[in-house]
Amino acid sequence: MKIAYKHLVQDIEENPTIEQISDSLFQLGHEHEIDGGIFDMEFTPNRGDCLSLNGLLRDLAVFYTIDLNQEIYNEELNELQLDFENLSKNTCPKISFLKLEIDQVPEIYKDSLADYFLDLSLNKNNFFTDISNYLSYETGQPTHCYDASKINSKLVFHEIEKNEEFETLLDKKITLTGKNSVFSLNNEVINLAGVVGGKSTSCSINTKTVFVECAFFQPEAIIGKSVKYDIQSEASHKFERGVDPDCHDRVLRRFIKLVSENANIKDVSIISYKYKDNQSTQIPINTSKINQIIGINISEKEYLNHLLKLGFVVEEGFIEVPSFRSDVKTQNDLAEEVSRVLGYDNIAKSEISIPKKERTNHKGIESKLKYFLLDNGFYEVINPPFVSLSSEEAIKVDNPLDSNRKFLRTNITNSLLENLLFNERRQKDSIKLFEISDVYLSGSGVNKKRKLSIIASGRVGLNFEDFSKKINTKYLIALFQEILPNATLDFKIIPRESLDTKIKNEIVSLEIDIKNISNDVINYKEISKHPQDFIQYKPISEHPSSFKDISYLIKDFNKVQELENLLLNYQNEFIKNIYIFDYFKNDKKEEIKIGFRFIFQSKKATLKSEQIELIYNEIIQKSLKIKGIDIPGL
Amino acid sequence: MPDHKDITPPELIKDRGSLHPINHMKDSIMELLISFGFEIVDGPEIETEEFNFDMLNIKKSHPARQMHDTFYVENKSNLLRTHTSPVQIRGMLEKKPPLAFISGGKVYRKDDDATHLPMFHQVEGIYVDENVSFAQLKDLIYKIIHSLFGDDVELRFRPSYFPFTEPSAEVDILSKEGKWLEILGCGIVNPVVLDNCNIDSSAYSGLAFGLGVERIAMLKHGVTDIREFYKSNLDFLSQFK
Repeated sequence: MKIAYKHLVQDIEENPTIEQISDSLFQLGHEHEIDGGIFDMEFTPNRGDCLSLNGLLRDLAVFYTIDLNQEIYNEELNELQLDFENLSKNTCPKISFLKLEIDQVPEIYKDSLADYFLDLSLNKNNFFTDISNYLSYETGQPTHCYDASKINSKLVFHEIEKNEEFETLLDKKITLTGKNSVFSLNNEVINLAGVVGGKSTSCSINTKTVFVECAFFQPEAIIGKSVKYDIQSEASHKFERGVDPDCHDRVLRRFIKLVSENANIKDVSIISYKYKDNQSTQIPINTSKINQIIGINISEKEYLNHLLKLGFVVEEGFIEVPSFRSDVKTQNDLAEEVSRVLGYDNIAKSEISIPKKERTNHKGIESKLKYFLLDNGFYEVINPPFVSLSSEEAIKVDNPLDSNRKFLRTNITNSLLENLLFNERRQKDSIKLFEISDVYLSGSGVNKKRKLSIIASGRVGLNFEDFSKKINTKYLIALFQEILPNATLDFKIIPRESLDTKIKNEIVSLEIDIKNISNDVINYKEISKHPQDFIQYKPISEHPSSFKDISYLIKDFNKVQELENLLLNYQNEFIKNIYIFDYFKNDKKEEIKIGFRFIFQSKKATLKSEQIELIYNEIIQKSLKIKGIDIPGL
Repeated sequence: MPDHKDITPPELIKDRGSLHPINHMKDSIMELLISFGFEIVDGPEIETEEFNFDMLNIKKSHPARQMHDTFYVENKSNLLRTHTSPVQIRGMLEKKPPLAFISGGKVYRKDDDATHLPMFHQVEGIYVDENVSFAQLKDLIYKIIHSLFGDDVELRFRPSYFPFTEPSAEVDILSKEGKWLEILGCGIVNPVVLDNCNIDSSAYSGLAFGLGVERIAMLKHGVTDIREFYKSNLDFLSQFK
């Protein structure tokens, strides 16, 4: 919500700068951005009263001298004769109507009304709606304007629960579904209460007689409607957060005053319906409790002084909460008020000492399994639980994000399979992944299972010992013997026929219920040391990688180290990784064969073969300068 | 000249895997909090409205309770927890004060765009004892933030609103670029919540705080797109070892 600095400062005696007001608003918890001379206020869930000029000024009164006496129409008003029925008094315990007729619609606005449109660069609508919008900006109370000539029968406020078409005054056609609080005329919805009015009874630029509705709606009746029907509504933001139930007379009298400043009023009358008394909230004065909650030591005088500035009324022994502060009910609420006035950052810290408990090893089995897998080249992944496929045990999401995420997964392996194929498409030829997660299944109630799932395919590792070995069931069984020597593990081979891939490597998976193997896990001392410092991530490339191999024959063994040093440290912006994939020492022939793999990838584009050849040739040339080495077949 | 037979083969570099950076961050935060005296409590990701909302003073009118924020399952009989706070409710129902719990794990919100994911991770803590104050909460938060981001980092407290804490605050840190970044939410436990858990709010008070793990991990690692964490891309994951 946008509030002009100019409009705020004109009621502040000290004439603070925009930065000073900004600092004050932050201290009070009113988050905002500044754009030119405009505060763009963030909506908070509980302070509907502050979504207005007056609301912010009431809070700023703790720092500045504020004059909030905007002029209102003070003459006696005739009672409006209105055929109105409220069939949902709990939802709308208070409502007032104003009927007002002018002799001519003004072409130019004056004073605060004119400033409002000019300073906030707003488009005008029609005279009465413009007044209503300004009034909401100034007071925080939304009002709705009906063209009185279109209200020709009984107006009914009620709750409906049927599908009904409704065209809003914003020319949007919506179908009301579920429960909605509405105003109807001749059994036709003319206003979605607290959210948006209807086109059929809206004011136009020619409207000279208006019915102004000023209501208090329970937030529960309004909440979620604007999102449900995709309607931008500042009124609903305010009603959802709670408006002042006792402001109707003042707001409607201000409405009349604003009209009178811009047009000649021919006739005006008002009626208020109050179905329930608004009980004011009273909280006992308990300064020591406030000091205890905050951890400070202020005097009662100082405490009450802060509250008085915020508009609270101090009576003998208790504090009366003003009607515009429906969010304040308890000592803790008052403690927050005092903390805001003092400034959270000005409250001194007080040493905390939580009694230390005897430490239990919370890592346990999962930790052993994790570190075992890490040491053997497995990467941990985390997948969201939402899947498209149903199964007998799958839990259905009632309101999924889309049809591909309608169920909760019943296994982790399918997620890992997607991860594996994703990485294969990115030219990875050694993929080992695992995930440990809760899996939820339906049955009699919801059943939770803590599962470990692994998936692996391709080369065992990217080094000269493991490069030519392929991951298969035999490899994994042997591997898991180390940590689960006594468990029977059901490794599965996932057939590739139905998968969208041309790669032939065997895919092996395992999914186990951790509870079932908890007695089988033997002690495992991790080798991997996880980094203590947090690594600065380097953005990854989305472009494909490719590789080149170079195999050397070395007769002079002294040169092996030199070659390794040269190649493994070779720097080029397009070289992503280098490793030795082959090493063989032939004692009979007294020669060493050593193969290096170079992985190429650009961050900016797909590399062309000429670019790779250029680097490849440069590497060969540099390496062949080392005497005693050869590249067979070159 | 060295003997040919004694030549040392190249170093055999075994590729080590890595913990997922989010789990690593979560565990690091939990370890830190354990060192302050907190103990871990666990709870389910599928929760009831009672534990996820009612017990935490999140009224039916609160925006979080609307269908557009919360994933409901099994014909609205349950929901996917929207925060880890229900775990603490379960903990408080089981034990008597003084108590200091932390819970960490996955939470779910019906949101999916460049900056929000339908699944993310939180770590939350609660400490209930006699005379726990906002001034003590500030001390704890300073200790947490300084441990995570260094003693020199500047932080500020802003008033905020959470139904389960009163007073409530959000805490920002000042980035190297001079921008305030929101890091965590915290506050004094609303006495209604203590009473809901059969803890006498006239005798005890509590403090609570919650951190978004992805947010901290993004700042610590310099990851700018939250979605990178969940692509399971080995080029991404292999950087965190």
